[in-house]
Amino acid sequence: MGEDRKLKILCIEDEHFISELYSRALEKAGYEVKVVLDGEEGLAAALTDEFDIILLDLMVPGITGFELLDRLKESGKKLKARIIITTNLQQADEDRAKLEDQADGYIIKAEITPHELVALLQNVIPNHAGPSAAGPAL
Amino acid sequence: MLEDLDKLRRQQIIRICMLVVLDSLLAGVFIWLWPKIIGEQHTTLVIALDCLTIAIIGAITTVFTIKMMFRPARVLTQAILHVASEHSNIPAPDLTKIHIGKKALTELVGKIYDMASSSNTLKGADATSIQQLRDLSDKLPMPVIIFDSQDNIVFVDQMAEDYVGLHASQMVGAVFWDIFKLSFSSDLTLDAWVKECRTNKAVDHAMWQRVRLPDSKNPAVFKQFDLAAYFNKDNPFGNEVIVSLFDRTDSYARDDLDLSFVALAVHELRTPITIMRGYIEVFEDELMDKLDDDHKRFMRNLKVSAESLGGFINNILNVARIENNQLELHLTETTWPEVVNQAIVDMNLKAAITNVHIEAKLALDLPHVGVDRVSIYEVLTNLLDNAIKYSPAGSVITVSSAVNDTFVETTVTDTGIGIPDSLMPHLFDKFYRSHRSRSQVGGTGLGLYLCKKIVKAHDGELWVKSKENQGSTFGFKIHTWDSLAAERKEGDNGNISRGAHGWIKNHSLYRG
Repeated sequence: MGEDRKLKILCIEDEHFISELYSRALEKAGYEVKVVLDGEEGLAAALTDEFDIILLDLMVPGITGFELLDRLKESGKKLKARIIITTNLQQADEDRAKLEDQADGYIIKAEITPHELVALLQNVIPNHAGPSAAGPAL
Repeated sequence: MLEDLDKLRRQQIIRICMLVVLDSLLAGVFIWLWPKIIGEQHTTLVIALDCLTIAIIGAITTVFTIKMMFRPARVLTQAILHVASEHSNIPAPDLTKIHIGKKALTELVGKIYDMASSSNTLKGADATSIQQLRDLSDKLPMPVIIFDSQDNIVFVDQMAEDYVGLHASQMVGAVFWDIFKLSFSSDLTLDAWVKECRTNKAVDHAMWQRVRLPDSKNPAVFKQFDLAAYFNKDNPFGNEVIVSLFDRTDSYARDDLDLSFVALAVHELRTPITIMRGYIEVFEDELMDKLDDDHKRFMRNLKVSAESLGGFINNILNVARIENNQLELHLTETTWPEVVNQAIVDMNLKAAITNVHIEAKLALDLPHVGVDRVSIYEVLTNLLDNAIKYSPAGSVITVSSAVNDTFVETTVTDTGIGIPDSLMPHLFDKFYRSHRSRSQVGGTGLGLYLCKKIVKAHDGELWVKSKENQGSTFGFKIHTWDSLAAERKEGDNGNISRGAHGWIKNHSLYRG
């Protein structure tokens, strides 16, 4: 992880305002962000393995987040990316277990502001590339 | 019986008369022998007459004496037989013919009549009332169950048989609680109430809503009803507790569905409010230094309002979760001051609008606590929100925490308008808001209800002390992490921190 390489984030999110807020905050924090609006496109982008972090909304058009995770697993490809689920839903226990197995994190969108998302991702993979625009870590 | 008595009387008379005759014969022999001893003569006729006179006087005296002796017994026997239902053809004794001990006897007979009349009421009412009750309850479209002071069921009606799916013979005589495994949504349950009544009450009645009775075959299926109970201590028929059920299974199921619908609708509000808060954050970052003081204030108000709306939404969703038994707590080892200070920082913005200051007085030696950070954070913000609402401008709210045995106790104290005693009992009810708060301050009326439920789910306690016009103190106790050692699950080994709203592998949860 070079000092000057910007960490790349794939944001799979169909809600335009959310993706705008996330990408703006993350870009200000020095990440490079690519936003895709549906599951198929998200899967294709993920499989390129050029991202360090994938933010995956479970409820996206095309294929859902769950299917996307399954398809990634089926592909047999070991991605370097940490996958963080973003959702507004409370998951049933069996879903949670599945997500715990296949993803690295799980965020309820309504519970965090973009600043807090940045602080959180700084925790997951510290970003040395850019100035931190994040507020105080919580 | 009376005949037996009369026969006995006759036998006694004959026996005594025979004794008298024997007696007079002996007297005759004695009179006959007397002249031989002293040397004078009586004629045989005189001796016979003497004997006869003694015999007749003796017999007459005997008959009257015996009759008189037997009279009270006869009167009492006749009185008893008169009132005994199986001898109802026997007339009442004629009390006017009593000559000796008339007063005492009359009183005794009166007593017999009194006892007879009360026991007749008992017997008659017992049979009739059970029959009437059966008739009545069979016509009423509700199950009725009666149990006695030993908790044994003494009566069930047709509806109760159908409702429970058991025959009366399977229920009568059984212990009520063995057949009716009820679950209550309120703290006061039927058995607690009955216990209370048995020690303190003669007669009482009470009603419960949303009582559940699981199906005997499939516990996941349950009936829901309202339950009314009537308590009558020392009821002469053994009907100590009468329980009637009003089936509400369908309508409560519909309510639950409605609540689910509300929760679903409110859920839809989460995305827009999240977006609004996001953009407000962007404005704060990028615009604040370009704004004049007024605009800054507007901005702050906008933020506070968005936060409040977010809070309401969370409260409604949490209540829906509680009602559907879906509130999951994931207790983690937590540094308590972090949570308290976070809540204070977040609520300070709102407090600042009315120039209210929130002060923390946290003991320095606080042990770690075991809490679900997300929900306990909501308890703190709800209590603070409440305190802010009722605090006069410029006042101070104090948040204190101290260790108390195996608990950490936290209090939120304001110097506001306080709570009148009359409102205290309903303070933690759902949708409850004090009469004055309806007009003066906003709120969903869910906050305190939610706080109580969440603290209780933590196995803690929430309490309130208040004096009108002097302010209120809300306090709650939560377990220290060490005191939860026995409950800690294997597996949550620190690599995964769980929270009700999120988790991140290898890292502590981001917030509250």
